[in-house]
Amino acid sequence: MLNYELSEDEKDVLQELMNVAYGNATAVVADMLDAFASLSIPKIRVITTTELLSTFAQLKSESYFFATQSFSGEFSGESAFFINQDSANNLAKHLELENEEDLDDAILELTNVLTSSLTTKLSQEMDTEVSFSLPSLLKVSNTTIQETVTFKQYSQVIVIDTDLNFQDQKIHGKIFILTKDESIQWLKTKLNSILELLI
Amino acid sequence: MAQNKTQQHIRTLDIDHKIVANIDNGIIVLDESLLIYHYNKWLEHHSGIKEIEILNKKLDEIFTINAKTLKRKIKTALRLQTPTFYTASSSKYLIPIKINQIKNANFEYMQQDISIIPVDEEQGLVALILTDQTIMANTNTLLETKIQTIKELNSDLLKERDTIDKKVLVLKFDPSFHIVDISQALLELMQYEKEELLGKNFFYQEKYHISTELQMQLVQAMKELRVLEFEENTISAHGHKVCFKSTLVPEYSAKGKHIGFIIFRENITDAKHLAQNQEKILASSRSAAMGEMVAMIAHQWRQPLSLINTIMATLKIKKELDTLEENSIDQAFEKIQNTTTYLSDTIDDFRDYFKPNKLCTDVNLLSLFDSSIFFLKDEMNQCDIRYNIEIENSITIKTYKNELLQSIINIIKNSIDAFNEQDIEEKEISVKAERKKSHISIILKDNAGGIGKETLSKVFEPYFSTKSKNGTGLGLYMCQTIITQHLKGQITMSSQHNETITLLELPYKLIKEKK
Repeated sequence: MLNYELSEDEKDVLQELMNVAYGNATAVVADMLDAFASLSIPKIRVITTTELLSTFAQLKSESYFFATQSFSGEFSGESAFFINQDSANNLAKHLELENEEDLDDAILELTNVLTSSLTTKLSQEMDTEVSFSLPSLLKVSNTTIQETVTFKQYSQVIVIDTDLNFQDQKIHGKIFILTKDESIQWLKTKLNSILELLI
Repeated sequence: MAQNKTQQHIRTLDIDHKIVANIDNGIIVLDESLLIYHYNKWLEHHSGIKEIEILNKKLDEIFTINAKTLKRKIKTALRLQTPTFYTASSSKYLIPIKINQIKNANFEYMQQDISIIPVDEEQGLVALILTDQTIMANTNTLLETKIQTIKELNSDLLKERDTIDKKVLVLKFDPSFHIVDISQALLELMQYEKEELLGKNFFYQEKYHISTELQMQLVQAMKELRVLEFEENTISAHGHKVCFKSTLVPEYSAKGKHIGFIIFRENITDAKHLAQNQEKILASSRSAAMGEMVAMIAHQWRQPLSLINTIMATLKIKKELDTLEENSIDQAFEKIQNTTTYLSDTIDDFRDYFKPNKLCTDVNLLSLFDSSIFFLKDEMNQCDIRYNIEIENSITIKTYKNELLQSIINIIKNSIDAFNEQDIEEKEISVKAERKKSHISIILKDNAGGIGKETLSKVFEPYFSTKSKNGTGLGLYMCQTIITQHLKGQITMSSQHNETITLLELPYKLIKEKK
């Protein structure tokens, strides 16, 4: 049986890479929002799908927007972006959006920026290319998310907690990068070659 | 070599150019200020604007668009060197293109997915690639409408299910007889908790309540997947007797697969109780009828008995006076013999009439009333009641004769009793029969003072009596039972001024029910 778990060392390297990638995203997001905004230092964790589903269970009580975007290439998978109703309202206020559809579009844009900046940077570091599909809003309630079987095709999940800080408001989002087993295999090889370089 | 490379480059350019011109997507090349560098053939065809007309013009001068958002997306794409997007689901469209397709009736403009791809980092150029998503959007709209309908139907269904759960006594079990569901109503009646019964074997659960014979019947019906109606006498968790009229129905999935059985139950405990009571009532009414019969016989006998008495007394006197002649002895014996025959016939008559009929016979109404009057003649004469029968001789109905007679005597006796308690001049009982289309109406009327409204509403209830003594309160109740259940007719009673009117509606021909 193949081992799809990441070792502690591998996790460390991955988190380091994500930190770099996230730094890159910060400037773009600030630009996109056309205002002084800073992104907090992200909390990055690598978890299993089972743990992911229990994370969803904790989100239950609140109302969330949930957007996904898939990416393909040697490193392939899907990213899922959660933003709660309050944060989404703050985002709408900040971007002076007029209707719900504009808000949907802005959330999709944010998802795209975060997904592409994170994965592009990561793939550059790993000497490969990724291409992106259109992001889409998943209109399912939180209670049914847990039952969404499609999550089960993924094994390892990279979770990034992020806060966008404005002068007066906060926008909190959670981004999950879901990777398939075959990508994990590839990722492990890449991470190990980086590890060897470091030693 | 160099020439080859150039040739290859030109060929590639040529291929790219052809693809861009003929691809089923709209392509616009723009810079960050929205200045147009290229506008492909697909767009020319769809928007009706030629590339030549708009080159070096700004996109927001030609179309009404949200320039701020587009600029932001272009900037992000260039900055990140990855695509940014518009999606039809949230942005509808960017370039307004009218559509004239019947199948896309929901939209006036083409719904577009747009990818903004960075193409030239140095010049800051991006390509907008438009994909027609109208069909998809249309399907989504249709789907959403359908989903809404389904949601509404589902909520209706859930409500109904809830009602069924609360009101209907129903039990479900799988093909191996394990109980899979049981309605709240049934649980409450049986005083069980759902958890106590789920997963239990139905036959095991009911083993004390179902006879071996019924069990065999059930198993057979289940085997043949057919409906079976049966009665169950069960006992609730707290020991109360509960009787059910039950129906076993095989259950199928939407796809027609057999998935188990459902038992619908009807609580007939009260009805059963009443039925048992009714038997008691019938028994006591029978003894009451017997008593009345004896009273009537006594009435009938009084006169002939006194006749015999008189004859005997005369004979005795004549003997003592020594004037007894052979001739007068014979005459006296003959008279006594006739009278005793009459007495004996009276008993036979009563016995015949009060024996329940087993067969429907043709009954002539006029003669029926004549005989009913015959039984009551003495009493009526005593009370000085006139009676008046208005029935055509030709009216005949097919029914149970003695049952009807018994009812009529009962009604007339009630009238006589009423007269006995009132002081009324010109006492009269009248009987009339009228032919109606579907039935025959018999109207019995007396002028014995009438009945109050309150009393009238209760006359057919068992054990209801206004009589000070000797009233069993079963007479009219029995009449109603006989008329409605045995003779399949109707009996109603009304009162006007000092009159009481009893209306009997009877079928011309009673069809015996098959049992």
